[in-house]
Amino acid sequence: MEKNVLEWLEKTGRIMPDKVAYEDSAESVTFRQVMEEARRMGSRLAEKVTDPAPIAVMMGRNVHTIISYLAVVYSGHVYAPIDAALPEDRINKILDTLRPSAVFTEENFAETASKYAEAAKCPLYTREELNVGMTAWPILNKIRTKMTEIDPLYVIFTSGSSGRPKGVLTSHHSLMCYISSYTHMMSIKTEDRIGCQSPLDYIAAVRDIYVPLLTGASDHLVPKEYFMQPDELFNFMNEKEITAVGWSTSALTVLTKLGVFEDTKLTTLKKICFSGSVMPGKVLKKWQENLPDAVFVNQYGPTEATASCTYFRIDHVVAEDEVLPIGVPYDNYKVFLLKDNGEEAAVGEEGEICVSGPILALGYYRDPERTEEAFTRNPLVTEYYERMYRTGDIGKFREDGILEFHGRRDRQVKHMGHRVELDEIEAAASQSAGVAESAVLYDHSKEVIWLFYSGEAEKRDLVLFLRTELPGFMVPRKVNKLEDLPKLPNGKTDISSLKSIAGII
Amino acid sequence: MRERILEILQDQRPDIDFENETELVSGGLLESFDIVSIVSELDDEFDIEITPKELKAENFDSLDALTKLIESLSEE
Repeated sequence: MEKNVLEWLEKTGRIMPDKVAYEDSAESVTFRQVMEEARRMGSRLAEKVTDPAPIAVMMGRNVHTIISYLAVVYSGHVYAPIDAALPEDRINKILDTLRPSAVFTEENFAETASKYAEAAKCPLYTREELNVGMTAWPILNKIRTKMTEIDPLYVIFTSGSSGRPKGVLTSHHSLMCYISSYTHMMSIKTEDRIGCQSPLDYIAAVRDIYVPLLTGASDHLVPKEYFMQPDELFNFMNEKEITAVGWSTSALTVLTKLGVFEDTKLTTLKKICFSGSVMPGKVLKKWQENLPDAVFVNQYGPTEATASCTYFRIDHVVAEDEVLPIGVPYDNYKVFLLKDNGEEAAVGEEGEICVSGPILALGYYRDPERTEEAFTRNPLVTEYYERMYRTGDIGKFREDGILEFHGRRDRQVKHMGHRVELDEIEAAASQSAGVAESAVLYDHSKEVIWLFYSGEAEKRDLVLFLRTELPGFMVPRKVNKLEDLPKLPNGKTDISSLKSIAGII
Repeated sequence: MRERILEILQDQRPDIDFENETELVSGGLLESFDIVSIVSELDDEFDIEITPKELKAENFDSLDALTKLIESLSEE
């Protein structure tokens, strides 16, 4: 039985060494090249980095970033992808939790990355300087014989309500379970050509990175700016003969708002999985009408369950106002609903969506408190300890066993494919000089974050401050200064009157 | 017109120096959802329709390019 993602790489690299694995706008690499470069850099990392802590990877959107992740795995370390464009404070918070053994970067980012390596008191290496020499077989072999399938593969950081990002730690086994189930469900084959939309540091990219290793399909990194230029994007996809994508719902929504399909058609795309937020019926309908032969799948799942829980294969052209269900559990997943009293919700009853099975993350890195809160014992199984994850999402099972999504228990929203804690934005705003009170709202239909505040601060200064604290997608695009925030008789902020100011229905 | 366009841009992203930047899209400064809001505000403000044909980096990379685009669309 395979227990390590590197076995997938080596198997595919042996069977089809000269097939393209990954391609970006500058170059493409074959499975053999991926294997050789990953082993070479992995050997150097193994020789230089003796501290077993994770290695932070700060690189750009290119094929060598993926190879660098695999090099870290060869070296016996866990990789932690970090977007170098995040605000400095946020990266420092992440590194504070991570305490990396090294920062692994590329020449383009070396200057920025060296500042972080210095702050984290760890060495800095560029992929260029490590891509030299011979594969150190004895070292790599020794590392491999010690590894098990429950060893962690990566740490991916996600929004936390207190303002401290949470590092979700996932094992080889969990990742391999999800990728196998996903590949099977989407019937991805060797001849498929995948178009990658996700940033490489983001959880959704695990499909773009690992599906090729399992299937021999190739993955093409679509330049980010094409997602605001529909014609350029479609021309690129047709030229590269892209057949399958796993994209965020918001990528499809944005393209639809920009008038996609008006004068360019897609000619090769056949398999489309979308995830990250609720898909509006009118958006899906437009894509279905323009791609009548394509398969569309709605995927649901949090990073803590390796990005996955359930999927729904859409079997009809949807209506404009149709709300899609989230479907049935992936193969090898157990999904159930718990009511507040700890009992299982019956069919037709609402409950919190809980998941157990081999795809559960190992926990939050160096954060036992929040790990224990979210990963708990399944109260429905009393005879032995079954671990489960509480998603914080509300669901309801239909008579036919299909799961529906009914919103959140807390103030977390999905914005542009990212998880956003509204509390975290308020916490950041309250740290800004001249902000007395603040309230953050989300307009789901327009996908806009609103910030209301009172105090001396100028709107511009507040936004500039938030940009130093939060990732760009979390910075509110609608900021409204009020004399005082409206209050309810009990002294709490009157959210419904703020909603009417914002025009949120 | 240029002033009004600048206001719309600055309202969306006060952190960007629109007077001097020349790689707003190709340099990755604007996010795709910024473009969605900017396009819809420009459409409303100037009573025009920006279609995918116009959604090219060269039309959105600078304030000048964008002003030129809006001018030509308004004339139609």
